[in-house]
Amino acid sequence: MSLIIKNLSANLGTRVILNSINLEIKKGKIHALMGPNGSGKSTLAGVLMGNPSYELRIKNLELRIDKKNIIGLKPDERARAGLFLAFQNPISIPGVNVANLLKTAYQLNKEQRTKNKEQKKTYNPALSVWKFNEILVKKAKALGIPQEFLRRSLNEEFSGGEKKKLEMLQAWILSPKYAVFDEIDTGLDVDALKIVARGITKLKKEKTGILIITHYLRILKYVKPDFVHILVNGEIVKSGGYKLAEIVEKNGYKKWTINKSQIQSPNIKSNPKPQVQI
Amino acid sequence: MSQTTFQSNISGYQYGFHKPEKYFFKSRKGLNKKIVEEISWHKNEPDWMREIRLSALEIYYSKPIPLWGGDLSGIKFDDLYYYIKPLQKKAKTWEDLPAEIKNTYDRIGIPEAEKKYLGGVSAQYESEVVYKSIQKTLQKKGVVFLDMDSGLAQYPDLVREYFCKNIPPEDNKFSALNTAVWSGGSFIYVPKGVRVELPLQAYFRINAANMGQFERTLIIADEGSFVHYVEGCTAPIYTTDSLHSAVVEIYVKKGARVRYTTIQNWSTNVYNLVTKRMRVEEEGVGEWIDGNLGSKLTMKYPSVYLMGKGARGEVLSIAYAGKNQHQDAGGKAVHFTPYTTSKITSKSVSANGGRTSYRGLIQVLPSAIGAKTKVVCDALLIDDASRSDTYPTMDIRQNDVQIEHEATVSKLGDEQLFYLMSRGLKKADAEAMIVNGFIEPIVKELPLEYAVELNRLIQMEMQGSVG
Repeated sequence: MSLIIKNLSANLGTRVILNSINLEIKKGKIHALMGPNGSGKSTLAGVLMGNPSYELRIKNLELRIDKKNIIGLKPDERARAGLFLAFQNPISIPGVNVANLLKTAYQLNKEQRTKNKEQKKTYNPALSVWKFNEILVKKAKALGIPQEFLRRSLNEEFSGGEKKKLEMLQAWILSPKYAVFDEIDTGLDVDALKIVARGITKLKKEKTGILIITHYLRILKYVKPDFVHILVNGEIVKSGGYKLAEIVEKNGYKKWTINKSQIQSPNIKSNPKPQVQI
Repeated sequence: MSQTTFQSNISGYQYGFHKPEKYFFKSRKGLNKKIVEEISWHKNEPDWMREIRLSALEIYYSKPIPLWGGDLSGIKFDDLYYYIKPLQKKAKTWEDLPAEIKNTYDRIGIPEAEKKYLGGVSAQYESEVVYKSIQKTLQKKGVVFLDMDSGLAQYPDLVREYFCKNIPPEDNKFSALNTAVWSGGSFIYVPKGVRVELPLQAYFRINAANMGQFERTLIIADEGSFVHYVEGCTAPIYTTDSLHSAVVEIYVKKGARVRYTTIQNWSTNVYNLVTKRMRVEEEGVGEWIDGNLGSKLTMKYPSVYLMGKGARGEVLSIAYAGKNQHQDAGGKAVHFTPYTTSKITSKSVSANGGRTSYRGLIQVLPSAIGAKTKVVCDALLIDDASRSDTYPTMDIRQNDVQIEHEATVSKLGDEQLFYLMSRGLKKADAEAMIVNGFIEPIVKELPLEYAVELNRLIQMEMQGSVG
């Protein structure tokens, strides 16, 4: 059982953002995706979640959550299939608080989000408001989120670090099959970083398959990814273990960016493929 | 409530149930002096009231149809019945109601008996008992809470002293029309220093007259008193009448406080043209909370006239316009005296090609030294087909004042939708959550049951809008 990405290529207008990405993320494993600015990391996160702004080349494309094909599914359908995205820049929504949002989201599904028999047993969609609140408050506390934040308008007047912690809280409450953390580490101080890393580690223990998108080694020191991938100009140019992240930290991406200033996608220009709007 | 219980209550005469009149009266279509006289005669009114009606009718004739607001050209004034005895309304059967109205009642989950009441099929017989017990408590405190017709019959002097003194028929064409043909509405008097802790609800005041097209409400809060009046409900009120034109006059005496909450959801064939005004005296507080969901066109600008030093007025307005609807709403504050404060907050939502307009007036007279006023109007557009306009007017004739005005128009954002959908919410639910979040600052001022119903209703509207 895994999250499978095969031959994923994405355009924004005529610009090629991702080119033939292949990734398989197994349950309970942590993958890190590193790359310079503008390499397509956030696009990959958005495309996985079904952001309609991008066009995908569908020839040979495979996107699966466990065995379920998610090509063409809307973001909410993907979420209910067990995918979660922690946003790089979580948007503010006045008058909507995280407690209500999470309660609603939590109740939406059982089958799709529970990862194993044990969870199926303990998952209770009809959990009382009181009981749900208890869990929410407990987990918020563990992440150092003051209780009153749960009732405040979502991401409104929150600091960068607070927003990221709230994303972590949502992931933890919803406990998805697969979670993508898009630069969850930016804007976090050392203490917050450790707390978020602990949250991610907890999810891993709950057998969530995880993709961490980051610029830096520092979060990876705490979560110790099983795999590291380097994304440059929309392509995965190198995959390896934790060591690879250390090399990047030391030497940067120069090795891969030289001679790669042009996006390589001759097949798109010469030979347009059918595209699908998702 | 089942049909059987419903009938057994009808026979429960010992609880003070008034049998519906055996006959009903329905005026001829259209309006003339004769019809106004007949209305007055049927109600057995004092002469002075008949005189007021007749002079108001002349004023009504003399005023042109206002052209500055929504499109009123669809009202067929000659095709309307201006007075119908309540029994006529009850004679309809449940089956006559349009399916979408019945469907909405089902989805909001309101009880059978209440559905019939709202549908205009029956009066709220069950609430008679509740009403009686509330009346007992109120009477002990000297509070009067009656329908307007009974108010006139039982307290003619009090009514005469205040009727039309705050909103004269000359105010506008529709206040003149209402004055000429009014029927139903509430009459409330709260004596000096009395605080009515429970909100008074028109809902308890039974009587189909409540639902009239030309309601007239008069509230007098004597010095240092407090009352919160709640009318309307979030369920759509079905009526075959295509014009609803009410007048609400409120007197807030020295140091008193009145809060008036309305949520209206008329069926979408109705023109809803209402004049509401509070006259607030020294250190008094007048508050309007006004929600408009239904109707074809609503024109309503609750106003506060701040007549005494330190008086405060507040208007909170929510408008939701869906397909083929125009909500032209807002508020007015007129500062006559020093150190008066006003605040108008408007939140409007346009969806599915609907149109909302904020229309407001702030007037500060030279005598109002040190007045403070703040206007905040926010509009949310759900799609490109919908529309929102803002028509704020400020007339400030005193320099020593503090004035704030904020206005925003936002479109429901794709990014917000994507965010909520990524948490598993369907598009319609995500939209409803964003809209409910948008109006939340006003909704939290509503009595809980209204707030809950309103949120549910927005959700339904959203589900409808995306199929």
